Amino acid sequence: MSDAKQVTLIIDGREVTATEGEMLHDAAKQGDVEIPVFCYEPKLGEPVGACRMCLVEIEGIPKLQTSCSTPVRDGMVVHTRTDQVKHAQSAVVEFLLVNHPLDCPVCDKGGECPLQDISMGWGPGKSRMIDQKRHFEKPIELSPLVAIDRERCILCYRCVRFSQEVAEDDQLQLLERGDRTFVGTFDDRPYIAPFHGNITDLCPVGALTNYTYRFRARPWDIEQAGSVCTLCPSQCNVSFTVRDERVKRVIARDNADVDDGWLCDKGRYGFEMFNAEERVTAPRGRGAAATFEEAIATTAERLKAAGPGRVAAIVGDASNEEGYLVQRIVREALGSADVDSRVSRGPSRSSLVRLAQPEVGARVRDIDDADVILVLGIDPLHASPILDLRIRKAMRRNGARLALATERPTTLDGGADAVARYAPGEAAHFLAELKAALTDAGSSSEHSAPEARSEGAPAALAETLRDAERVVVIWGERIARDQGAVEVLLELSAALDVPGTEGSGLLEVPELANARGLREAGCLPDCGPGLTEPKRMLSTSEVQNSPFDGRGTEEIREALIAGELDGLILFGVDPVRDFSDSPAWQQAIQAAEFVVTFSTFENETTAMSDVVLPLETHAEKDGTVTHPDGRIQRVRPSAARPGDIRPNWGVLAELALSLGLDTGVSSQPTALAALADAAPIYSGLTNEEIAGRGIRWQDRPAASMRPVVEDEAAGTPSSLGDRPGEEGRSENGDGADSAKRSEGAPTSSFKLGTYRDLWTGAITELNPPLRFLAPKQRVEMSVGDAERLGLTIGDEVQVGQNGTSVTAHVDVKERVADGTVFLIEGIKGGNANALLNGGPVEVTVEKLSLPAGGAAE
Amino acid sequence: MPHRLETRVLLEHAEDPKLRTIDGYRGFGGYSSLEKAYREMEADEVLKALEDSGLRGRGGAGFSMGKKASFLPRGEMAKYLCCNADESEPGAFKDRELMQRNPHQLIEGIAIAALAADAGHAFIFIRGEYDAQADILDAAVAEAYEAGYLGTDILGTHRDLELVVHRGAGAYICGEETALLDALEGKRGNPRLKPPFPAVQGLYGGPTLINNVETLSNVPGIVGKGADWFKGFGTEQSPGTKVVSVSGCVQRPGNYEVELGIPTRELIYDLAGGPEQGHEVKAFYPGGSSSPVLTAEEGLDLPYSFEAMAEAGSMLGSGSVIVADDRVSIPHMALRTARFYHHESCGKCTPCREGTNWTVKMLERVVRGEATPMDLDIVASVQENIIGHCLCVLGDSMAMPVGAMVRKFRDEFEQVMAAAGEAQEIDPHVVVQAPPETLGATPA
Repeated sequence: MSDAKQVTLIIDGREVTATEGEMLHDAAKQGDVEIPVFCYEPKLGEPVGACRMCLVEIEGIPKLQTSCSTPVRDGMVVHTRTDQVKHAQSAVVEFLLVNHPLDCPVCDKGGECPLQDISMGWGPGKSRMIDQKRHFEKPIELSPLVAIDRERCILCYRCVRFSQEVAEDDQLQLLERGDRTFVGTFDDRPYIAPFHGNITDLCPVGALTNYTYRFRARPWDIEQAGSVCTLCPSQCNVSFTVRDERVKRVIARDNADVDDGWLCDKGRYGFEMFNAEERVTAPRGRGAAATFEEAIATTAERLKAAGPGRVAAIVGDASNEEGYLVQRIVREALGSADVDSRVSRGPSRSSLVRLAQPEVGARVRDIDDADVILVLGIDPLHASPILDLRIRKAMRRNGARLALATERPTTLDGGADAVARYAPGEAAHFLAELKAALTDAGSSSEHSAPEARSEGAPAALAETLRDAERVVVIWGERIARDQGAVEVLLELSAALDVPGTEGSGLLEVPELANARGLREAGCLPDCGPGLTEPKRMLSTSEVQNSPFDGRGTEEIREALIAGELDGLILFGVDPVRDFSDSPAWQQAIQAAEFVVTFSTFENETTAMSDVVLPLETHAEKDGTVTHPDGRIQRVRPSAARPGDIRPNWGVLAELALSLGLDTGVSSQPTALAALADAAPIYSGLTNEEIAGRGIRWQDRPAASMRPVVEDEAAGTPSSLGDRPGEEGRSENGDGADSAKRSEGAPTSSFKLGTYRDLWTGAITELNPPLRFLAPKQRVEMSVGDAERLGLTIGDEVQVGQNGTSVTAHVDVKERVADGTVFLIEGIKGGNANALLNGGPVEVTVEKLSLPAGGAAE
Repeated sequence: MPHRLETRVLLEHAEDPKLRTIDGYRGFGGYSSLEKAYREMEADEVLKALEDSGLRGRGGAGFSMGKKASFLPRGEMAKYLCCNADESEPGAFKDRELMQRNPHQLIEGIAIAALAADAGHAFIFIRGEYDAQADILDAAVAEAYEAGYLGTDILGTHRDLELVVHRGAGAYICGEETALLDALEGKRGNPRLKPPFPAVQGLYGGPTLINNVETLSNVPGIVGKGADWFKGFGTEQSPGTKVVSVSGCVQRPGNYEVELGIPTRELIYDLAGGPEQGHEVKAFYPGGSSSPVLTAEEGLDLPYSFEAMAEAGSMLGSGSVIVADDRVSIPHMALRTARFYHHESCGKCTPCREGTNWTVKMLERVVRGEATPMDLDIVASVQENIIGHCLCVLGDSMAMPVGAMVRKFRDEFEQVMAAAGEAQEIDPHVVVQAPPETLGATPA
């Protein structure tokens, strides 16, 4: 971006330098002049000038002007404390208080209330109003999570603007007129939307309060602790409101490089689980409590007994330091190369190295200025919610165009310029078509046959992309489950000249919150810390003979079942629930001689483990994580660890020591230092450098030590396979069978796609206030398929495959492609992971509630 | 027959029901200006004629129409013209008559103004209550399309204009030009922040010219007969004729088209018949209920022009005179006025939303006799706190007349407070007498 012009103006006699076009209110701030505001909030977009609080005098203009909406000009002379201005500001405060109940002593906002502060600073200090104030029923439920007190509302309509112009859910409206105006929803329906909690942060008075926080604390009882939310890869910056060492509230901590100052409701309300009963609060063996010392000793003994090269580890919910220590234990103390941090499979090291090149990657900020945003393979709302708002912002404010290519319909479809649906498991094939459509440049549209599977969709997408300068590709790690997809993606980005264009880039949405950090900490079978080539750590003969690269997650599962591995370390993962093919995982864990699980909560996997060790949550943890765009951020301990939980880095260092490996780690900073030593791209990194806003490693000098892209010919063949898209279809043999078998009955074969819903898992199960959002298993299908099978919304059906089946309710969706059905993963009761068998499969849908004649069988 | 003091230009032939049809209108020379403008004139010439005429907006602000049109940027972009027919100001009913009796004059004016502004789409935003008038306009617009004065390739000049009659949903605020735009776009009718002004960024973000019905109705005459002809009427700063709605305590309320600058006394007494026998004018609103009231002494002998009314501390506004005679209780009139603006405040900005509501509560106490002289000071101070601090002019529209009434008739407020019982007996409705005939331009 070109440097914006600087202008100089005088505010209250001070010379202030500001950027041309900046609003006077913001410029004044830089000159240490505070101009009070209520309605103005730059995050919400254009100023509206409604509250009239920020009136100031500008020489040469007879009437007072709202500083929130007046752009600065060179040589402007502004007065904010003249009698005329004081009179106006005091008048506005008086007007605002005409109908405000002044119930500050019982108001949750009291003590952190802009209306209080501004009344104190700019108000008349006495009341002349003796008439009856307006009354509303109060407080009432705006949603199950937010209470609204309409009497306190000063109608700044920040919340309404959020709903209409940021979240674009359009649910909040101003109803009625004049001083009878109130904020509400159509027909008094509850305001249910995934970002609606932000309105409680925005509200400048106590009109919108969280039920989870009402009457829980006063501002003088609490402390604010800045940290990072690690419930999803968005890694939003948060501030925990802590009282008596417990988290009582989560609020946004603005960081335009990460979250733009918004939070999703998952991050905001998902804190009661920190103290849930299901929390693992102490180490234990099988059915018996244990001390840390006992648990670590047993674990060390059993892992050692397995012998070198016979232990594997899978890391999930972990900080960079934790991941680093786990891979060291596996590689250096246990002589194994089998460590992974992916729920399924992923690209090879050579592709990862190419993806990690700074010119290939995009920053979150790049979304704002993109000409075209291409979303591939994910619905950002479910996978990384805050990106959904960011994409909407780019489209609304900067006119970015959106191209979407996904298996399942997304919430962004409505505003997209081009939408393509590809069949589940066909990402690689689709990307190859898209690339072909792009590079063919329309010349050979007759003989290349894109209409075969995607009905010309790749061509439409290519059309949107073709002339775009800045392209940001937001792609889901999930597409990497399809062999070769990432490699085609890299070719596609080269065709779009992503590496050569400033502002273009790829932004991954991984399946785990800290996936990038863990990969860069060395939790990959073919990468050491910093994506270096893994080193052989033990020099025993067995290890010398073992393969150079270790096994990935799915290979670990198969090796366990085959008896090729004996020990298993699970750190922050619940494969039985969250990984595809849960029956196989159950089998694998049972087959293992010894399983140690580090877990936050009790779950099906911990129930099958030999030793269970407790994990910290992101409210308790001290460590670093790496955002998908390479920003290293600090998770800082904010609340007390419940029960007998110890810092995870300490437990791992202790375990390493018991295995004869002295890591030298004695604190979080030493753990980070050890990681920084091992990973060249993190070289020299300290907590101080990361500080409150994080730092992208690509922006540090050490980035020059990143691994170089290998010669393409040498790097690709092992992983790419011969032709993408065809490989994954090998297991479909029985699909045709089942279709035949069920002829005549209301059964049909489909391609199954599974997805993770925003509200599956611990978030809704362990946070009582969020329980109402817990999804029930539903099978989404197209209108045509539902008609063909005589199914309507709500019908109960069996979705089965190879003898395993899941019960689900039918949901008919217009934008689902014919022949495809979707089920939710990780759901309690009817988990779609039970059906997946390592790739796309055929499924049958059988109506449960059949009419009398049909149920004969 | 028109009264000798009237100067019928816009309402010429108004009694002839044929005027409403396109043939009738053409029979009186209608659409010749449109033909002249489209066939013989460049957009800039039309614009210049409008600027030269000195035509001032008839909707309230009195801003030069030609100048406003010249603010629209040139260039290839979607531009719009909106005719503000949301006439909702208490006391104003002139646009209703102009649309009902002479719809084609308005359509012709719109088509010519659209040419000057290079607008391809025009809208008439008519208040929802003007149902009959909207029907008349719909019919007239259909006729104009049929005759080729609207639509594509008008008169074979390769110029297009689409004209849509849009009925409002009934809110005074939608007469505010930017609220009108929001309402037209299908949103809640709330005023927008200015700048950007509609001329730069208006309807759907495009440059937009917004004019009142009467303003646009003046356009065919100016273009057809020339700016000098137009300036032959009225005063130097207020050229032209004005359709004035006179209502309240007069014997012949109605619309009177007069040359601007006519003595106000003639307007009220000679044309509208003045108050009933034995009563005298006490005060009047010279330009609708949002203009500061003038006492009889202040105002009756002023020429009825933009400049004279402004000099007297009031305004000509939409040109709607509401007369109060010696029987009218000014405190009740103030309350009535405040109630209207309280009811119509959109609620977007603080001073208007809270100020109108607070003023009503205080004035209610005044007329109930539950107030003290200190409360009158507060009423006056609240009006001052509103003026100049609001997002649009609605707040000022209450604060200026109410402030003027408290200032000029303070004795009467104090008397009313002192004698609350007696005050109750005064019929507050006397100030809002409806005209006996819905259309009173031509007293029988």
